[in-house]
Amino acid sequence: MIRLAPTRRAILAAALLAGTALAGTALAADPAPLVVAKTFVTQSLDPVDGSAGWALVSHGVAEGLFTVSREGTIVPLLAEAAERRDDGAWIVSLAPGRMFSDGTPVEAEAVAAALNRTGAENPAARASAGRLTFTPLDARTLLVETERPTPILPSILAEWAFPVYRRTDAGPIFTGPYSVASFEPGARIALSPNPHYPNAEARAPIDLRRVGDGQAMAIALAAGEVDLAFNLPVEALSMLRDRAGVTARSFPVAYQYMMFMNTREGPLADPAVRRAIDRAVDRATLVAAIRAGRPAAGAFAQTYPFAADVVPAHDPVEARRLLEAAGWSLGADGVRAKDGERLVLDLVAYPQRPDLVTLQPVLRAALAEIGVGVTTRVTEQPNDVASGGDFDLLLWAQHTAPAGDPAFFLSLFLGSEGARNYAGWSSGALDALVAELASAEDPAERIRLAREAQAVAAEGVPVAYLVTPEWHVGLSDRLAGYEPWGSDYYVIRPDLLPAD
Amino acid sequence: MATALRGGAGFLGAWLLVTAAAFALVRAMPGDPVEMLLAAGNVAPTPDAVAALRAAFGLDRPLPVQFAAWLGGFLTLDWGVSPVTGRPILADVAVRAPWSAAIGAGGLAAAVAGGFALGFAAAARPGGLADRASRVLAVSAQALPAFAVGLVLLWLVAVEWRLLAPLTGSVAERLVLPIALVALFSVGAVARVARVAFAEAAGAPYMVTARMKGLSRTRALWRHGRRHAALTVLAAITPEAAWIVGGTAVAEIVFSVPGLSDRVVAAVATRDYALLQAYVALVAFWLLGVHALAALARRRLDPRVGA
Repeated sequence: MIRLAPTRRAILAAALLAGTALAGTALAADPAPLVVAKTFVTQSLDPVDGSAGWALVSHGVAEGLFTVSREGTIVPLLAEAAERRDDGAWIVSLAPGRMFSDGTPVEAEAVAAALNRTGAENPAARASAGRLTFTPLDARTLLVETERPTPILPSILAEWAFPVYRRTDAGPIFTGPYSVASFEPGARIALSPNPHYPNAEARAPIDLRRVGDGQAMAIALAAGEVDLAFNLPVEALSMLRDRAGVTARSFPVAYQYMMFMNTREGPLADPAVRRAIDRAVDRATLVAAIRAGRPAAGAFAQTYPFAADVVPAHDPVEARRLLEAAGWSLGADGVRAKDGERLVLDLVAYPQRPDLVTLQPVLRAALAEIGVGVTTRVTEQPNDVASGGDFDLLLWAQHTAPAGDPAFFLSLFLGSEGARNYAGWSSGALDALVAELASAEDPAERIRLAREAQAVAAEGVPVAYLVTPEWHVGLSDRLAGYEPWGSDYYVIRPDLLPAD
Repeated sequence: MATALRGGAGFLGAWLLVTAAAFALVRAMPGDPVEMLLAAGNVAPTPDAVAALRAAFGLDRPLPVQFAAWLGGFLTLDWGVSPVTGRPILADVAVRAPWSAAIGAGGLAAAVAGGFALGFAAAARPGGLADRASRVLAVSAQALPAFAVGLVLLWLVAVEWRLLAPLTGSVAERLVLPIALVALFSVGAVARVARVAFAEAAGAPYMVTARMKGLSRTRALWRHGRRHAALTVLAAITPEAAWIVGGTAVAEIVFSVPGLSDRVVAAVATRDYALLQAYVALVAFWLLGVHALAALARRRLDPRVGA
């Protein structure tokens, strides 16, 4: 045992007391940072660079004039309201009392300067209605003119390309609940609570780090290094669910898994064959195969008000009847044929979404039951295969309503002239509905049109919707109350508050 | 002087050849970066949009013109801008390269030092613990996937033993496991090479003389065998340096180190030509550099080499 002289003991005790007091003060003034691990951290703080705008919103740094609520509806954020004029231009009024993180009020002039610059430099900002031109009318009012007329400007302004910012010599300043304290591109961001954001005192600083591998992220969570792990592989869940101090939570996301059918030529040019394939698929089995998710009812996840609500029936008897009626007779080898041609289809998936590869053998087995042969293929180049039409059946994952509006997917992927009409499908009825959707302003009418368009597509079956997948987050006790929303668009939000 | 000039010219020629071949190969990869970029941004790939981006990135020019422009820029430290991130490549590389260099050089140094010592111990006591350990390490490096070994290391060190915070700790804490992983997969091979060299030395006639002077076997082996073993290990370093490039990439991904390889994996997925080309040029420089340094060291140790 080490013996200390009385004087030394007194000094040591005083030092310990002072240290404890100092530590207590520090804790009270500056809570320990929450460590958030994500598979992606922005490479740039400038919203005109690539998809930096998406990342900055997801990181809780940036906000737009409008946003998508947890329920999938468009709600004002930095804006107060938007109104369309008779000439097609829009008047957007700004919400009062909002400030950039440096304390500067959010006024029309700064908003217009930022969004005009983004429109000029980022092609993603011109995708939905062409170039948008913002003109300040007074401190809280903006005139917005669009290159192409649109009835849904709030939805467009909720797209990730439109965060509001103010340019300074030190870099862009934003309005979100957190501001950037330090930045390592693509690797790490230290976030401080934005002192000019409501409820700032309840927030802790955040140490946001990129952890590229899901298993490593799960281990970091188990080791207590991380408070929020977004998102985890399904294989890691059983290990985490048994650990004290860790909560794993699953949630449905809007990235629908679907299967495009190439309608241009061959057996799938016949809608009856496509319908038969759709009926042969048991969505519940697909969910079981990937161990997470829900059977998909249509193009959109159930969180959206315009989602279809009836999951297509699994009916192999009807599927066989449809194929017989279409002239495809069962051969001795168990595969149907017509006029000497065997019904064997090329089913393509891509490894960037491993779930899709997992679904391939399950779908092959389901189609074998109705006498349809399947050869499976995995490609590293899904975009090339999709746009080149080099497939019979193509498994695909897609966020179908990134800005909370159904027109994006319906026109781009199902419209006859849609730039991503991978199925090569053409339907006058659907095109008419999409055209109506392009000019409809009433939200209830837009929901009706979107559902009708999905019903038309369900008849023609250019695509079979399979699964609304689930993602998984891991949480430490400090964030055990965190509720993830249905995508990776809004991860760090104003309500990310530590339990302590 | 003439030898040095010849060596320098050979170095530059080899580097130029490798970078030109890589330039062609990178562009021959399937997948159009412009269409991938538009798809990632949910932007319709209209002919106008595609043509505008091609022109903006200089991809509409003939391949030799693109290469000449890239080479000129690379040599004058204008490495271009990543079409994916919008950031200057040089700035990106400058931030990330130190991590990769620390892991690669640290892993190589640890593997050489550890492998040399293990090889010596194995040769000093054939069939002993060190000999068996070096064999197990060499075979394991061939048989085990580095990625899985990295995850197990992470689990043991961070979760079970709580020794380090390998993903969120200090720079030193974050480098320990990546360097260990890279070294672990090279140390066995280096040890076996060193063991063979020490064993050759042990059978040499001068070793008998040394023993007759009264030196123990171990002491004689160290004193008179280490130069020969060092020469042999130096000759074997170049292939290990090549493995270390791959090993560093695995280590960076498993341990989430913000190094160059970690960025390159993402760049392959997005066909970020500008970054891939800079990476290949740097890796070629690393491999040729290690080879040249090893050759220089061998010449220093044994003037007969390369004479």
